Amino acid sequence: MSESTMVRVRGLSKIYERGGEQLKVLSGLDLDLAEGTFEALMGPSGSGKSTLLNIIAGLDRPSSGTVEVKGEDISRLSESALATWRSRTLGFIFQSYNLMPVLTALENVELPLLLTKLGGAERKKRAEIALRIVGLEQRMDHYPRQLSGGQEQRVAIARAIVNDPAIIVADEPTGDLDRQSADDILTLLEKLAKDMNKTILMVTHDPVAADRATKVHRLDKGALSS
Amino acid sequence: MTFLGLSAKNALRNRFRTVLTVLGVAIAVLAFVMLRTVVWAYNVGVEAAAPDRIVTRHKVTFVMQLPKRYIDTIRQEPGVTVATWANWFGGKDPKHDREFFSTLAVDPETYFQVYTDVAVAPADLAAFKENRRGAIVGDVIAKKFGWKVGDKVSLKSPIFPGDWEFAISGIYTATRKSVDRSTFLFHWNYLNEGMAARQRDQIGWVVAKVSNPARTADMSLAIDRKFDERDTQTLSQSEGAFNASFLGMFTAVLKAIDVVSIVIIGIMMLILGNTIAMGARERTQEYGALRAIGFLPRHLAVFVLGESFTIGVLGGTVGLLLSYPIVQLGMGRFLEENMGSFFPYFRISPGNALLAMLLAVGMSLVAAGIPAWNVTRLRVVDALRRVA
Amino acid sequence: MIPFRYNLRSILARKATTAATAFGIALVVFVLASALMLSAGIKKTLGASGRADNAIVMRTGSDAELNSSFDTTSVGLVLAAPGVKRDDKGAPIGVGEVVLVLALEKLGDPGITNVFLRGVPETALAFRPSARVVSGRAPRPGSDEVLVGKRLRGRFKGFEVGQSFELRKNRSVSVVGILEDEGSSYESEVWADVDTVRTGLGREGLVSSVRARLESPAKFDAFKASVESDKNLGFEVTRETTFLEKQSEGVSIFVTALGSVIAFFFSIGAMIGAMITMYGSIASRQREIGTLRALGFPRWQILVAFLLECSVLSLFGGALGAAAAIAMRFVSFSMINFTSWSEIVFTFEPTPAILLMSLMFALAMGVFGGLLPAIRAARVSPIQAMR
Repeated sequence: MSESTMVRVRGLSKIYERGGEQLKVLSGLDLDLAEGTFEALMGPSGSGKSTLLNIIAGLDRPSSGTVEVKGEDISRLSESALATWRSRTLGFIFQSYNLMPVLTALENVELPLLLTKLGGAERKKRAEIALRIVGLEQRMDHYPRQLSGGQEQRVAIARAIVNDPAIIVADEPTGDLDRQSADDILTLLEKLAKDMNKTILMVTHDPVAADRATKVHRLDKGALSS
Repeated sequence: MTFLGLSAKNALRNRFRTVLTVLGVAIAVLAFVMLRTVVWAYNVGVEAAAPDRIVTRHKVTFVMQLPKRYIDTIRQEPGVTVATWANWFGGKDPKHDREFFSTLAVDPETYFQVYTDVAVAPADLAAFKENRRGAIVGDVIAKKFGWKVGDKVSLKSPIFPGDWEFAISGIYTATRKSVDRSTFLFHWNYLNEGMAARQRDQIGWVVAKVSNPARTADMSLAIDRKFDERDTQTLSQSEGAFNASFLGMFTAVLKAIDVVSIVIIGIMMLILGNTIAMGARERTQEYGALRAIGFLPRHLAVFVLGESFTIGVLGGTVGLLLSYPIVQLGMGRFLEENMGSFFPYFRISPGNALLAMLLAVGMSLVAAGIPAWNVTRLRVVDALRRVA
Repeated sequence: MIPFRYNLRSILARKATTAATAFGIALVVFVLASALMLSAGIKKTLGASGRADNAIVMRTGSDAELNSSFDTTSVGLVLAAPGVKRDDKGAPIGVGEVVLVLALEKLGDPGITNVFLRGVPETALAFRPSARVVSGRAPRPGSDEVLVGKRLRGRFKGFEVGQSFELRKNRSVSVVGILEDEGSSYESEVWADVDTVRTGLGREGLVSSVRARLESPAKFDAFKASVESDKNLGFEVTRETTFLEKQSEGVSIFVTALGSVIAFFFSIGAMIGAMITMYGSIASRQREIGTLRALGFPRWQILVAFLLECSVLSLFGGALGAAAAIAMRFVSFSMINFTSWSEIVFTFEPTPAILLMSLMFALAMGVFGGLLPAIRAARVSPIQAMR
């Protein structure tokens, strides 16, 4: 099963309407993501890569076409069903980390588990495991402002994996980081795909980052050219 | 960590703004408590009035008096256990020209039998009865003017010309909240003997104590009926109704205070709503991230409401903590000493404290309503893109 | 200089917050202006009927007409004193009147309220040229006919022309006219024939006060000296204007004090509101302010610009509040007069001074509330523009 398809995108189009004008961002593209692979999505600004990522992540809806994840068409799910689906299936990594400044590293990682029925002790245990995976067990009680950018992003990765999702989407995860920290993050993502069988889709500008992925998709003017 | 815990932490995020907002709410709570206490203290006279006393006065006008023999008729009324009378003297101490206090000419024998809530040491009371120029004064006014037992006091009256000399025989305290502790009581006989012959034997009003408090209304009617065919008609009311009709003259002031109280609530809401809306706006991107990792719109609404709730509770608490020293110890003491006849008992009632707290918390939730609703309508993609 | 338009647009850009802040200031100004207007209304009502060339004579020590009482025979004595003006026929101009308070049932509201009753001689209306009967007619002298003050009309049972009410049991009087007197306290009184009041209410042979018209205000001292010289009679003479001023003192101080205390607390609240808004506005405009600094605008101009922004905001709120307060003119406010223990109806009296003061107050709130935030804005570094 390790080579089975995790995400299957077919005929995906996205059209925005701005001031009466139609703006075609994505035009009928197909994409397959295999289970346990680390794939990158590249393209210039305005190529529609963030839109594609958002649609696969269930944040945005396609104008036409289907997005199947584990065989389920997510574009048919309701708003709240999508939220639940995201909390179970998906982990998010953002360019600007988006950690809560008022919470410690451990509490930040624990946050998604508030949506589950787990008890307090169990939540804490899982958050600790996630932090250990990203190598931050020494920094559990630190607040985001006491961490370096790379460390913050690792906390964000721990938050993304704490609920054991099948897919992780990362939007420019190394965009705000120096080379060394970026390398560490990319190594970590590789490891997650290889050792923990996560499907990772990373949007990036950076060719060096893209090189680390198993597969690179290039998006230009709404169409894929791999 | 819980939802509410996270909201509370968010509320403390912009410390400076939170402190300002809490202060704003606290001041609104303080002003609210102050005004409600004024209204409450006004009404203490009605609510804490003795249920078993009937006041009988001239039907047409309080300026005019009743013949003294009316007291005997009232004493014969079945159900009346004891009755006494008093005259308004309107005394002023020339040394304290601008201070207002009540001065009553009373019957030393029966006054304290009717007003059992006025407590005087037995020895002082005995001395008062012996001395025709004796006086019993309230502890509040005694303390204020520095009067002690044995002191000579000279008063003037705008109604009864001349100098009136008194000797303080005793100091009374009260066992009931509605009792004014600033009254000056002296012998009715002393006043009566000092009057011109044709003005003698007139009394201001009669107070009767009845055996059955449930029958005060019926008995008031019965007393008035007795005097209906005499030359001077009377108006009898229970003490509570009597006090109420006096306070009724201030209805417009009380209504104005009510309006102002509502304005306070409005200001409180504006301050709270403004802060919450700003916080929510600044956190748009964060809320977007939370939505992305699976939180539902209603979770975000809980965050916003919880944040406001925290500020409301803090503001209410600080406001009440400020209110006790300012309203009760400062203003309360001042009013009890200087306007004891209007405010014999100026305290923050538990009901008003609770009401202020509930309002602070309630308004915090109402004020957060619009920001909370806006947050639930955020589009995740837009929220994430927005740089706060 | 930073163009003013910049601030104006900034204010308009954040509609909800701006509206909330301005509205808060408007509420404070409304309360303050209303209290001041009521206080002005009280002074006007209680002072309106006073004339500098009128003297009022009462018994020594009685600070109100209600407490004063002396023999009718003294009226002639008082009016014979030097300085009293005389009419064409050589008779002195003055009135001896008896006043009382009636306990009457209010219409609409439950409870009993005191109404001021003035027993007047037939010359009472002539003595007060500003007072006139606006509806119905003047009462016939010596009859049971009475006038009801305009502001009491309809507030009590029988207080309409053609109706009647009881002074006391079996002593009914009929209302024949409505009295108007430029908003003075006479409009909150009932005027009956002096003898009707005396016989009806057991005041035979007594008067409460004598008002005398003097030849000129300057004659007051001579008149006063003459009337007060006989210590046995025990009279005290006061100028009518002074007397009325003293009458209004208590109530007007009460209202002003209450209003000021409330406005003080409210203004703290509103200033905090303005501060929050301005801090919020500045926090979200760091980059913008940084850019202005980078473009070379000096700190003080940024300070001024933000103070200006806050001032505009508060003046707008102040104008709103003052406008709402002006609408209070149509509300009448009945309150106890501490010296007569009877009800007087007051109105809210907007004066230009009060409106100006309200706006200044709003401006002060804006400047004080905006000062600290503006200082913070002025300290924003040009580097902020680069972030």
